[in-house]
Amino acid sequence: MTTNLKLAWRNIWRNKRRTLITVASIFFGVLLSTLMTSLQEGTYSKMIENVVGFYSGYIQVHHPDFWEDKTIENTFTPSDTLINILENESGVTMYAPRLESFTLLSFKNNTKGVALIGIDPEKENQITKLSHWVEKGHYLTANDNGILVPINIAKNLGVDVGDTLVLMSQGFHGASAAALFPVKAILKFPAPTMNNLGVFIDIRAAQAFYSAPDKYTSMVLMVSDNSKVKHIRHSLQSKIKSHLKLMTWDEMDPLTNNMIKADREQNMITKAILFVLIGFGIFGTVIMMMAERRKELGVMVAIGMQKSKLGKIIFFETTLIGMVGVLIGFVVSLPLIAWLVYHPIPLTGETAKVYEQYGFEAAMYFSAHWTVFTQQVLIIFAMTMTVFIYPLVKIVRIKVSKDLHS
Amino acid sequence: MMLIAVAWRNIWRNKTRSLVILISVCLGLAAGIFNMAFYYGMVDQRIETVIKTEASHIQVHHPSYLANPEKVFKIDNAEQIAEQIEAIPGVKSVSKRIMLNTMIQSPTAGSGVRIMGIDPEKEKAVTNLYTKVIEGNYLDSGKRNPILIGKKLAEKLKVKLKSKVVITLQDMEGNMTAASFRVEGIYESANTTFDEMNVFVRSNDIAHVLLLDEKSAHEIAVLLNTNDQMLQVASLIAAKLPKLEVKNWRQIMPEMNLIESSLDITMFIFIIIILLALLFGIINTMLMAVLERAKELGMLMAIGMTKRKIFTMILLETVLLSLFGGLLGMGVGWMLNIYFSIYGIDISVWSEAYRSMGFDTMIYTKLSFGTSMQIALMIFATGIIAAIYPAMKALKLNPADALRIDM
Repeated sequence: MTTNLKLAWRNIWRNKRRTLITVASIFFGVLLSTLMTSLQEGTYSKMIENVVGFYSGYIQVHHPDFWEDKTIENTFTPSDTLINILENESGVTMYAPRLESFTLLSFKNNTKGVALIGIDPEKENQITKLSHWVEKGHYLTANDNGILVPINIAKNLGVDVGDTLVLMSQGFHGASAAALFPVKAILKFPAPTMNNLGVFIDIRAAQAFYSAPDKYTSMVLMVSDNSKVKHIRHSLQSKIKSHLKLMTWDEMDPLTNNMIKADREQNMITKAILFVLIGFGIFGTVIMMMAERRKELGVMVAIGMQKSKLGKIIFFETTLIGMVGVLIGFVVSLPLIAWLVYHPIPLTGETAKVYEQYGFEAAMYFSAHWTVFTQQVLIIFAMTMTVFIYPLVKIVRIKVSKDLHS
Repeated sequence: MMLIAVAWRNIWRNKTRSLVILISVCLGLAAGIFNMAFYYGMVDQRIETVIKTEASHIQVHHPSYLANPEKVFKIDNAEQIAEQIEAIPGVKSVSKRIMLNTMIQSPTAGSGVRIMGIDPEKEKAVTNLYTKVIEGNYLDSGKRNPILIGKKLAEKLKVKLKSKVVITLQDMEGNMTAASFRVEGIYESANTTFDEMNVFVRSNDIAHVLLLDEKSAHEIAVLLNTNDQMLQVASLIAAKLPKLEVKNWRQIMPEMNLIESSLDITMFIFIIIILLALLFGIINTMLMAVLERAKELGMLMAIGMTKRKIFTMILLETVLLSLFGGLLGMGVGWMLNIYFSIYGIDISVWSEAYRSMGFDTMIYTKLSFGTSMQIALMIFATGIIAAIYPAMKALKLNPADALRIDM
């Protein structure tokens, strides 16, 4: 055992150049597939970030019936324990309350039915960067009595900053709700649908308007990383003993989730092609290595080395070369990816313009999630071991009389 | 010439090595061509759906309508205008529509929808909606107040053929009114979002409820003979109708540009990664080959072969391999492309995601010869670049040392 290992070790370093080339082909394999996987995962994370950062957040806390029946009756009053749990859950980075319902907006002779979203101006801004979309006027301050109107709704009603809107709706337990709100700002979202969706006011004003003091329809939670969402939801659900329902972003937006799933599965084909090409690259070097060592191996067998022992030595050589290759691949790709995560590759030209139009940052994003690395390292290592079936077959087929003459 | 012959023989001296390079190049190219063809086919089908089912080539509206789709922003004398547009060369057919965003209700559920009041016969010439009816009939049966709804909406409202649905709306005079329609047909297009949002009724039925004169419309959809004439015809129409807004499908559905852009990036990255993998694969294999043949190359040098010739010989070996691999890859790639352009690829496993984005679940590959030639050239160039480094390594051999290597 130790002799075999020692022999394998010496064989590897006997011809450094040969070893280096084989190691290099394994190294490039790891590097390329890591880069590709990292880019792919980075793109998905960005997509998810866009979705959650735009409106939904990663997790929402609801009254159990709210999602099916979004009325002002399905609200909840957050208890101190709930706030405590959210504050102390390590993965939750931010949370913001909302009170959403429908209202009629009137200005002069124009009336329109839209969603009314009561928000905590400061907390909401940390999550969805709402103030970023202010086209004209000013964002809400704490305890503001103003209203933020998206551009399409403003155009339809013919209102501008400074005008006063009449809001009419039905409040909690059928109370009638009516109030005046001055337009504080016009919002312009990059996504067209958001510009027709609804208007924003301070949550305390919304609670007063709907006669629902201290009530929320939802609490939006942000977490540090999408991969932790399921775990945090589970942890929160077990701590929150009341009937409240927790929903993750993929349950609220199954479309994006499906899109990512479909894309991921289709990318399997692309990755399979890449792995085959990498495999052939490694295979090519191994074939040449065997051609080069034909005589050497022939001599070994001629002087009485058992083929099985020779096979074992080759196996150790493979394992060592494969391990060195994937390790170097990992060691090089780690800082590279880490750098790319913080310095995404910017896109230019027409594509960049189209992306920006939709409010996406025009760049290619990378992910440094640990599975990106481990997966590639394991796959390439397994591939290297598979490719080395070829030398084993060659050894079994050694014919001393022929190979000595080559 | 002699060098080519030598290189050719060298290639077949070690068949396994040559086959590995050959197959890598072939596979890389075939995969590149096939992947391109698949995605271009997908986008092409989406564009076709956009033009044939959803947006047509050009749409004409009241200038305020698109920003604020209210029923008051109508086109007066739409019938006359439609006739004017139809007379413009390049225009294939025209359909005018009355459109209204409102509520539709079944006994069990309600939903916000867009009512499209169409002239069934004229609409047939512009959109292929009538071919998408999967149950019941298109609106041409002559019954009273028929309505055609999407499959997705039918499921949401839990209605079947002959079910009654009620449309609540505010008429032109501002009174709230309701009208009941009977489900005459259920359609299913490639886009489930479209199916959920749009219901079709006869324009005179809805005009009657709406108290709108039948000659007015909110939208005039124009289908052209070919997509190439779009900008030209659009400006002709715009010149004739200065008071109306004329837009082409790209302006109406800007998200198509986003889809195309992101696809271009995906393809770009895919090709780069394939090229890099090929590059390193070939470099390493050829490097090993040079190493293995050190003695032989040393011998050639010793007997007087010039370094330039040795360099060219090794380069030629790789070039020939890439060339044959490339040709083979082109062949395989195009065979796949042609096969799947006829029989299609079924991606219904992921149908939910793709259909909600408006993509068909049967993808027919499509690729221009020019694009595939570009990929072939890139792969061929990669082969040559990959050969340079090993060939240079061969030049560094010292004949005296190389000859003494004991193989």
